[in-house]
Amino acid sequence: MNDLCADIGYNSLNKFGEELCGDHVEVIEHGDDSMVVVLADGMGSGVKACILSTLTSKIISTMMAAGMSIEDCVETIAQTLPVCSVRGVAYSTFTIIHIVNGREAEIIQYDNPQVIMLREGKNLPYETEALDLAGKHILKSRIRIQEGDIFVALSDGAPHAGIGVTLNLGWKRENIIDFLETYSHVGFTAKTLTTLLLDECYSLYGGKPGDDTTVCALKIRKREPLNLVIGPPSNPADCNKMMSLFFSKEGKHVVCGGTTSGIAAEFLGKQLLPSLDYYDKDIPPTAEIEGVDLTTEGVITINRVLDYAQDYLNENDSYKQWSSKKDGASRLARLLFEEATDINFFVGTAINPAHQNPNLPISFNIKMRLVDQLSECLKKMGKKIKVSYF
Amino acid sequence: MKITVCIGSSCHLKGSRLIVEQLQGLIKENALEDKIELVGTFCLGQCQTGVSIKIDDTLFSLAPEDTKSFFEKEALTRL
Repeated sequence: MNDLCADIGYNSLNKFGEELCGDHVEVIEHGDDSMVVVLADGMGSGVKACILSTLTSKIISTMMAAGMSIEDCVETIAQTLPVCSVRGVAYSTFTIIHIVNGREAEIIQYDNPQVIMLREGKNLPYETEALDLAGKHILKSRIRIQEGDIFVALSDGAPHAGIGVTLNLGWKRENIIDFLETYSHVGFTAKTLTTLLLDECYSLYGGKPGDDTTVCALKIRKREPLNLVIGPPSNPADCNKMMSLFFSKEGKHVVCGGTTSGIAAEFLGKQLLPSLDYYDKDIPPTAEIEGVDLTTEGVITINRVLDYAQDYLNENDSYKQWSSKKDGASRLARLLFEEATDINFFVGTAINPAHQNPNLPISFNIKMRLVDQLSECLKKMGKKIKVSYF
Repeated sequence: MKITVCIGSSCHLKGSRLIVEQLQGLIKENALEDKIELVGTFCLGQCQTGVSIKIDDTLFSLAPEDTKSFFEKEALTRL
């Protein structure tokens, strides 16, 4: 297995006054180390553009992931898209970034601003081959990927940002490259890079985007496994089995839950040392166990991490909170969102009798649902998730 | 003397942070930093009756609002 994978982040600004976005990003993973990312920009704005771009990106990503050729994809789209009654054409531009077997990036572009590629923090011009498919002028490139490579796909709302508002000619490709080069060294995740770039577009537009604006960033990185155990096993006799499986896994180890950390400490023959530092008044303090990377309380902490995860996939406003704070939830969020790429959850299904009190918001079902929801969010961040129950 | 406060999920929701902060204040006020060690623990197994708190090996159950009288009655008298 190849040890490279892609961290992916994307988001859009809607044209001022529009409820719906006319751009759409679709991500499909297939096989162990391959994924298709499609950014489509539908003609016009609002409902019509939204339908066009959603159809285009869904069709292309599904077909490419199933191994069909780009020719087939383009032909299918040409025959499927509803024809605009005003302009008499069916039209949506698209950018495809296809990561193949964790080794190669295949980039196929039709009428969107050209994908920006950074290697070692610098813009890397890459070769493109022109294809004519069904009367469409399409650019195709194949690039061998390396750790640290960054690909940024844009809709034309990005280079148009600020035209006639703050800049005469908009934000040119070179300016966007400069902007990205400045930040690429810092080691931000793809999502954070996306947020920074969109924030800049938003301010160039003076808070009133003149077009739907979408940024989709892919960052090639090494796989970084992380293992998280939460809850004691339903059968107390399985404690040792669960812990030896957990600690035998490669990567970082996180223990969540009071009882669980007691079991982990006993298994390792080390002391469990809780601290009394409340960095966040609502999150219980963390603890130290030698040999464990992070030890936190369970449900309350995970619940907060889930809030952060849901926000990360949308506006990413809470980044300011969890990116630097020292409480258990912030530290766990950084490990899960920024560092880890492959996450194994070890979930113990023992029922804590104390939590079955109707006055406490932490019943057994809530714990199971928290893990489910959190793994869903992490999958959407492009991470590989495995959940085992004990 | 060692005072151990449970900071597990249940006790946290029942206010262990408020107790920890009050105890920290009381220990300082009485200049007892040398005599009393305040530590946290995860789950003492008495979640129903929390907030669980231990003075050396004796287990108590405490509500945040009773912290001051508890400290005077149970802690100071044992020094």
